[in-house]
Amino acid sequence: MRPDTVDTKPLTEPVFLILLSLAEKPRHGYALMKDVEFLSNRRVRLSTGTLYGALRRLLEDLWIERFEQEDTSRDKQAYRLTVAGRKQLHTELERMRQLTRAASTRLRTKEA
Amino acid sequence: MKRVYWLFLQLYPRDYRIRFAAEMSRAFESSAADSRRDGREVLIRFMLAEFGSLVTGAAAEWVAKLTTNAAVRGRGLPDPQVMRPPGVSREVWFAAAERPDELYEAQQQVDLLVGKMVHAIANHDFPGARSYSSQEREARENLRRLQSKYGIAS
Repeated sequence: MRPDTVDTKPLTEPVFLILLSLAEKPRHGYALMKDVEFLSNRRVRLSTGTLYGALRRLLEDLWIERFEQEDTSRDKQAYRLTVAGRKQLHTELERMRQLTRAASTRLRTKEA
Repeated sequence: MKRVYWLFLQLYPRDYRIRFAAEMSRAFESSAADSRRDGREVLIRFMLAEFGSLVTGAAAEWVAKLTTNAAVRGRGLPDPQVMRPPGVSREVWFAAAERPDELYEAQQQVDLLVGKMVHAIANHDFPGARSYSSQEREARENLRRLQSKYGIAS
């Protein structure tokens, strides 16, 4: 996929949570695992196999990029969101919002 | 446990291991330490989930390797413009925030003066070419000084 195009397919939950975590600041693998756990209220616990498989795909789609942080004591590889990745996250949020609005309207109609 | 993890990592394609194995091991060690603190049962569940995901992950990575264009796969490699070059210490790389601009401007100055010199020679303006040549020598010296300051090979 070209980096300037937006994929309209829904994101998987791990990918959505990874992008959401990186939207705040660049993070390395372990920090991402912890933040995803926090964001999902401890419901989603990423294994290293799942996390790095997703990171590999996100790098190839140019939604994230490698980034070296100054404040890490060990040589840890951090990742950050690209402009294309942020755009993708906004598209997904808009899709979710639209879905939530439609569901709320339908439920209200049913209950009335 | 680290050794078993490393053995499972051998299931992955070689290029994937080169890019991610060290990071994965570090993340695994940190997560394993957390699970160990939460008790034996949590640790066993954690290990089963980890090793299971390595097996399925390795299969998925082989499929991806065999079905993805090499150019697309290469996007996962570190970008030399963002990454610290090999042999340059963290201290040197992060020494000054103005580093990229300073170096970039010095290189631009050299390129500009070389262009002017070539143009002057092409127009038989030899005194002008000599003047640009001497300025270019100074600019190149400045660039070398900056490269040495930041530990970057010319």
